[in-house]
Amino acid sequence: MMRDRESRHLALMLAPYLFGIAALIAAPGVITFALSLYEYDLIRSPRFLGLDNFRELVNDEVFRISLRNSLMFMAFAVPMRLPGALALALLVHRRYRGVGSYRTAAYLPSVVPDVAYALLWLWIFNPLYGPLNLVLQELGGPRPQWLTDPLHAQWAIIIMSLFLIGEGFLVALATRRSLPRELYEIAELETARPLYVFGRVTLPLMAPTLLLLLFRDTIFSFQATFVPALIVTEGGPPPYATTYLPLFVYQNAFEYLRYGYAAAATLVMFGVTAAIVFVQYRIVRRWRHAFVV
Amino acid sequence: MAGLTFAGVQKKYGEIAALRGLDLEVRDGELLTLLGPSGSGKSTVLRVTAGLEDVTAGTVHIGSRDVTNVAPAKRNVSMVFQHYALFPHLSSRENIGFGLRARGVPRAEAARLVGEAAALAGCATLLDRKPYELSGGERQRVALARALARRPDVYLLDEPLSNLDAQLRVETRAELKLLHRRVGTTMVYVTHDQLEALTLGSRVAVLHEGLLQQVGTPEEIYAEPANRFVARFVGSPAMNVLPATLDDGRLRAGPFDFEPRVLAPTGALEVGLRPEHVQLASDETGAPARVEVVESAGNETLIHVTAGDETLVARIAPDARLGVGDVVRLMASPRHVYVFDAETGATLQGLER
Repeated sequence: MMRDRESRHLALMLAPYLFGIAALIAAPGVITFALSLYEYDLIRSPRFLGLDNFRELVNDEVFRISLRNSLMFMAFAVPMRLPGALALALLVHRRYRGVGSYRTAAYLPSVVPDVAYALLWLWIFNPLYGPLNLVLQELGGPRPQWLTDPLHAQWAIIIMSLFLIGEGFLVALATRRSLPRELYEIAELETARPLYVFGRVTLPLMAPTLLLLLFRDTIFSFQATFVPALIVTEGGPPPYATTYLPLFVYQNAFEYLRYGYAAAATLVMFGVTAAIVFVQYRIVRRWRHAFVV
Repeated sequence: MAGLTFAGVQKKYGEIAALRGLDLEVRDGELLTLLGPSGSGKSTVLRVTAGLEDVTAGTVHIGSRDVTNVAPAKRNVSMVFQHYALFPHLSSRENIGFGLRARGVPRAEAARLVGEAAALAGCATLLDRKPYELSGGERQRVALARALARRPDVYLLDEPLSNLDAQLRVETRAELKLLHRRVGTTMVYVTHDQLEALTLGSRVAVLHEGLLQQVGTPEEIYAEPANRFVARFVGSPAMNVLPATLDDGRLRAGPFDFEPRVLAPTGALEVGLRPEHVQLASDETGAPARVEVVESAGNETLIHVTAGDETLVARIAPDARLGVGDVVRLMASPRHVYVFDAETGATLQGLER
C-alpha cells in the first residue's frame, strides 16, 4: 500500500519536470532531427532532401567561419571563465567585513537579463563615449575599435562573457566552503605556504566540482555568444567576424526561413559540443582517480 | 622540548566567554589531560595554544618563548584532531609527510622520517592506502603519525580517541601512554571522558565553564576534589551528593549522620559519598533504604536506592542477592565523607589520608 502511494506521489512530483523535459527538450530534439532532412520555410510543405542540408553545410563558407569562430571563442573564454570563477570564489569564501556585498557583486551580472546586459556593453564598448576606451585613453593604453575591427570585436564578445560566471562562482564558492576547516588548520600548523596549500589541498579537493564546471562551461560557451553577437556586434564586422553558430542558426531559421538547413546546423553544433566534452572526459578520466575522495 | 604556561588567558567569542582567566603550567615532558564537559573551554585551550584562535587577554608561553601573538606556523606545535583531519585525496604516506614536504625537507629525508613516525604510531603497513580505505582506528594512527613526523615542542591532542569503539579506545589509550614515554615530549590531551583523563594523564586539569577547577595527579583529583563539580564529574557512577545540616555537633545527610572531623562553618552544607563508600550494613544499625534498580556488571553491582527523599547509588559486591523493592541497611564510613559548601560548591572537608 505504502509503496503504491509513495510511487504515486513521486510520479506526481516529477510530472511537471517530465512534462517540461518532453515539451522543451525531447520533442524539439526529435523535430530538429527530422527537420534537418527536409527543406521547410513555413509556407510551402516540407520537402525531403536526405543529407543535402549537411552537404551544403560542408561547403558553406559562412558556416565554416561560424564554426571556427565558435571554437575560438570556446578556446579563449572557457580557460578564462573557469579560473575566474574559482579565483573570485577563493577571494570571498572567508567571512570578513563586507564580504556579502562582494559575493553579490560577483554574482549580479549573471542575473541581469541578457538583452539589458548586451545593451550595457554596447555603451561600454562605444569607441567615442564608452567608458572603457575613455579609461584606456587616460591610462595611455591602446584604443581598440571594439565594434568595427574584426579581431577587437571577437575580443569584445569574449570580454562580455567573462563577467557572466555567477553560477560557476556560486558552485565553486559553495564547494570551497564545504571543505573541512581542520584540513586548513593542519596545513597552517605544518607551515604550508598558501600556494602549496592551493596546489596540494584546495585544487585537488575541488577538482571534481571544477571538472563538472568545465564540462558545463564548455557546453554553455557555444550558446553564450548568441545575444552579444546579435545585439552588440550584429555578426560583424565583415566578413562575419562575430557570426557564431547560434547566430548562424538564428539567421538561417528566422531571417532566411531555412528551417531545415538551420536544424542541420544545430545538429552539427550539438555533435561538435558532444565530441569536445567526450574528449575532455577521456583526458580527465586518466588522472581523475587521484582525486577520489 | 618545552613546557607551556598560560597566564590569565581569556577568550571570548562575541559575548560568550570560552575561557575566563586561565592560569596553568604544563611541565616540560609531561602528559597533561584537560578534562571537562562539552563547552567547558578545553578545546579552546588547545586552539589558543596552537594559535588557531587569538586570545582576548593574557599570555601563552611555550618554554620561555612568548607565543601569544605568534603565527601558528611559527609555534612549532603539532595537533591531532578528533575527526583526524586527514587529507582525503592523499595516501597515508603523503598525509604523514605533508608537513615535511611543505617545509621543503628533501624527499629521501622525508621518506625516512615518515617511516619512523609510522612505525611509532603503528601504521607502517598502511602507508599506501588512502583514508577512505582505512578504519577509524587506522586513520587515528595515521593522524598521530603525521603529528609525530616532525619534532614539535608540544603535541596537542583534541579528543583523538572519542570516535573509536570502546575496546579499541582502551587499547589505543595504553599505546598512547607508551608512546608518550618513548617520545618524552610535552603533550596536552583534551577529553571529556574522566576515565581516559585519569588513566592517561600524569596530571589532570579539570575545566568547567571556562574556569580551571583543579590541577593535580589522577589520585589527587579523585581523592581530593577541590569542589563539588570535580567530585561529581570524576568517577563513575558520579558521587552521591546530599543536602546536609549540622546540629548538635552531628552532620546529618539523608539517612546518615556523622561526626564531622572539622567543625564546618555555618551555612548550607552538602555531603558527598562515592558509590563505593556506601556499603550494606551487616546489622540493623544502618540507614534503611529501598532498592529501586539493580545493575549487575559482573565484577560489581550497582544499586540505586531511595532513602526518604534522597536517591543514592551504591557499588556493592556482586554476590549480594538483591531485588527491586528490597529494603536494605546502608552505612557510610565517616572517613570517606566529603563536605561541600552548598552555596559555592567548595570542598570544606575532604578525605582523610
